[in-house]
Amino acid sequence: MNPTLLEEVPPPRRTPVRGVRETLQRRGARPSGRTYALLRWAGATLFASVVLALVVSLLVSSSQAFGHSGLSFFWSGTYNASKSIYPTGIFIIGTLITTTVAIVLAVPVGVGTAALLSEFAPKWLAGPLSIMIDLIAAVPSIVVGLWGLLVLTPVFAHHVEPFLKKVPVVEWFFHGAALGPSMLLAGTVLAVMILPTIVALSRTALASVAVEDREAARALGATRWQVVRTAVVPGARTGIEAAATLAVGRALGETIAVAMVIGNTYVLPHSLLAPGATLGSAIINNFAEASPGLDRSSVIGLVVVLLVMTALVNIGGQLLLRSRLRVKAA
Amino acid sequence: MSIAVLPGDPGELTDPIGTRRELVRNSARRSLARRRLLGRIAIGLCVAATAVSLTPLVALAAYTTGRGLHALSWGFLTHIPTPPGIPGGGISNAIVGSVVIVGLASAMAIPVGIMAALFLIERRGRTANGLRFAADVLTGVPSIAIGIFAYAVFVEPLGHFSGLAGSFALAVLMSPIVIRASEAAMQSVPRDLWEAGLALGIRRSRVVRSVVLRGALPGLVTGNLLAVARAVGETAPLLFTVLGSQLFETNPLQPMAAMPLAIYSDSTAAFPAAQQIAWGAAFVLLVLVLVLSVVARLVSSRLNRQAH
Amino acid sequence: MTEPVVPPAAEVSGSRGRLARTSTPILLVVVATLVLGACGSSSPSATRKKAKPATTTTAAANPTPTTNPATPGGPSTPAAQSAAHTATTKPSSSGGGCSATGGSLSSACDTQSPALQVTGAGANSIQPFFGRAFYFYAQANHGVAVNYSPAGSSVGVTDIQQNTVNFGDSEIPIKAPASGTGGTILQIPVDLGGVALSYNLPGVGSGLKLDGPTLAGIFLGTITKWNDPAIASLNPGLNLPSTTIVPVRRADSSGPGYDLDQYLISTGGSAWTSAAGAAPSTKWPISSVGVGQQLNTGVASFIQQTQGAIGYVEYAYALQASFTNVAVKNQAGSFVAPSQASIGAAGAQAGNLSAANFNIINGPGSGTYPLANFSWTLLYQKQTNADLGIVLGKLFDWVTTTGQQQAAALGYSPLPANVVALAHSTLLQLQNGAGQALFS
Repeated sequence: MNPTLLEEVPPPRRTPVRGVRETLQRRGARPSGRTYALLRWAGATLFASVVLALVVSLLVSSSQAFGHSGLSFFWSGTYNASKSIYPTGIFIIGTLITTTVAIVLAVPVGVGTAALLSEFAPKWLAGPLSIMIDLIAAVPSIVVGLWGLLVLTPVFAHHVEPFLKKVPVVEWFFHGAALGPSMLLAGTVLAVMILPTIVALSRTALASVAVEDREAARALGATRWQVVRTAVVPGARTGIEAAATLAVGRALGETIAVAMVIGNTYVLPHSLLAPGATLGSAIINNFAEASPGLDRSSVIGLVVVLLVMTALVNIGGQLLLRSRLRVKAA
Repeated sequence: MSIAVLPGDPGELTDPIGTRRELVRNSARRSLARRRLLGRIAIGLCVAATAVSLTPLVALAAYTTGRGLHALSWGFLTHIPTPPGIPGGGISNAIVGSVVIVGLASAMAIPVGIMAALFLIERRGRTANGLRFAADVLTGVPSIAIGIFAYAVFVEPLGHFSGLAGSFALAVLMSPIVIRASEAAMQSVPRDLWEAGLALGIRRSRVVRSVVLRGALPGLVTGNLLAVARAVGETAPLLFTVLGSQLFETNPLQPMAAMPLAIYSDSTAAFPAAQQIAWGAAFVLLVLVLVLSVVARLVSSRLNRQAH
Repeated sequence: MTEPVVPPAAEVSGSRGRLARTSTPILLVVVATLVLGACGSSSPSATRKKAKPATTTTAAANPTPTTNPATPGGPSTPAAQSAAHTATTKPSSSGGGCSATGGSLSSACDTQSPALQVTGAGANSIQPFFGRAFYFYAQANHGVAVNYSPAGSSVGVTDIQQNTVNFGDSEIPIKAPASGTGGTILQIPVDLGGVALSYNLPGVGSGLKLDGPTLAGIFLGTITKWNDPAIASLNPGLNLPSTTIVPVRRADSSGPGYDLDQYLISTGGSAWTSAAGAAPSTKWPISSVGVGQQLNTGVASFIQQTQGAIGYVEYAYALQASFTNVAVKNQAGSFVAPSQASIGAAGAQAGNLSAANFNIINGPGSGTYPLANFSWTLLYQKQTNADLGIVLGKLFDWVTTTGQQQAAALGYSPLPANVVALAHSTLLQLQNGAGQALFS
């Protein structure tokens, strides 16, 4: 073509509707868009400020105790009631053990249940069953604790724990007197309490995997189970991880129910059947009667330690996730 | 799917293609059989898992019902408590107190939580990650610490205990659950629906309202129900904020009774009559939450149906 | 985020969105609750919020209880709501003998209206007694409603010191000088109770005798079997098995723990004091031996489930649970089991009792049970609201005199006469805001 003719042709507009947008802007932008953004921002800010206020107030209240003992507060192993020195190190280990037991018990059971409810069970059954499992979340911790104390403790003392001591391979974990209150029992009670969280959120995550992914797997010849294993579960992974995170958080912070079944002994546990203590149980046992001053400050110090622990566990989990993703991508 | 075998001469060993087809088909059949078997075992494990999940609930419910059912009567639900040894007591004040306190707490936590979740799904980057992290850490804070915080914020300055302080504590307790669960529910709405809405030129807020929230509704209902159920059963935050009451009180600016508090003080009493009241209250609590769950799910499924 | 193009007209004028739909009921709920709050506490039949079908029917039905007259059912004037707010009251009609200063402590306090609500918080152990006492008091003195929360002794002390309740209760009085934001705090003994050492030894039954050193050995873990020579020498007539001893203690702070600790410090010898310290504490000092359980319930259920267990619970609890209790050696050398009589004897022997000298552990007397203690009520000397002060004074004077019948009904021991006199004289120190005595 004749180049001069081309040059005369004006270049095509990049955004054909710019004129409309300019008109709108001249007339004043729509307020509703701004309102929505404002709402979102307000919700986030409100939440963030409350969390910040909570953390700050906890730090301020515990500063006296930290000033008194310094960093050794975090790993001390001695208990001195009159001087308000708590064996934080023992509590941390107890918390880790009970939470691990709870997760080991609850995650497979919970995800399996969620898979059944969302994939395999007929709709008329899945609804009522999931309502029933959610009901466990509604039971007050005190009631779960009492049930654990009055019903589970004798069952564990007379049946479960003696049985576990006889099982050939794992018996090493279960030596010592079978009294009933123990790390194992506390872990089990925690598992019961975090189960509804895992089931409910995993179920949502599994159900939300796109139909196309399932159909693709089916088309490739996968059986029903293989569809779930290869297409649904990986797709639901973020949801399941949110569920596990919330569940771990709940397990770390549980106080009353654990205190009623763990035996409250401030000694490094030598087996899963030994009584022990967690940060949560120590806090609930010592706060109400802590005299204001160093005593109360020390107990709030335990809360801060728990906070730090939860934060670390969360960070650790996320790092693990990201590294797995990177390995997969590579 | 069977491949028709070409009629071969007697002695199929002389027909390599047919043999190969036969071998492949057999191995596929065996593989299918194996995969089916594995599948059945896996599903069986899931069924077992579900049975294990249901066992504690059945045990808890049976125990609560067993101990609490004889406490139940009309008087139990409509009278306020009486001291030990005097018959005729009930938990009406605790029921009303719990409803008011948890209602207020939900009114505070759910809107704020959903708004924050909307913030999280739209923004990436440091702020969103930080907020998510904060929610996760808050889940791990023991409820007693939240109660102490609420005491410092509401009770000390005002000079007296109140239901509102308890609602605040419960709202703080609920908010991370609401945020994470709502975020998960909203993220489960496929991205293409978002984009389709935006491509049609619909306002972002409108897209969220009509597409995302509607699509996420069952997940939202489940997640928020979980948060409310948790709040209904919490004792420790209420001990420092609400104080409890033996009297009938509906004013949230005053100390009120609440079901977990009544259960806590009565179940640990020495008197069997008091213990029976506690278990009766626990039973009523379970029933209330059950009704709430059923109603909420019915409402959500009806709304979902209306949408289509 | 740039705004997209104008949406189709139909969208704009369409029905309200999801967010609006969910926020409207929430808004209604909040408004309804605030309106409810404004209508105040005296209208039990006020409308409640929607959507709880199971409870709407039950609570909307008039919940005025027939058996508890302490409900503020009187007419609710606006003055009353702001009055009931901080439990101050401005009686629009001068009720009974309740608002006259200079009156007698023991006259009745019949306020007609408005209803007066008194709040208190403190020890868990005294709740059954307080519950009954306040109930019967309210029957005789209409309009006085008392709300007591068993949140724990320390919480009660903190609350009264910060003036967020009208009275507190603690098993251990505040160290002198007792004061808080409202000035000096008066401490009066209101209840006498004891600590039982309960055990589970099938085949042995009741009658086990133990003293300070053996108990210290058990709780320190140095004595591990029931047929240990130290125990056998104290119990020659009993056939003790070789079962392992499982000591169970209170994991949370407790009055009983304090009392036992005090007893062991006095009688357990250097073995105890070197391990546990020389000052008694509500927090059990040895957390490495045996098992720690929550509240009396936890200890009691563990004892019931475990053979060979021994632990400490409040006597009222052991009585209700029908436990077998140890006969503990007292100062005079006799082995005394806990009972209403032996605990009463311990209280009667309390010589110079006061808030500064409140210890009656291991007291003198041959029939005295060595593990007894009083429970102390805390209230401000200066009551800025004189009417409330008068009510408090009359209430606790009644509690320490006529009200002790309720204690006896529950298995506690009634206060001995000298302690009643102490309570009475302490209550006479109540003053109004200007420093004038409220009672003559």
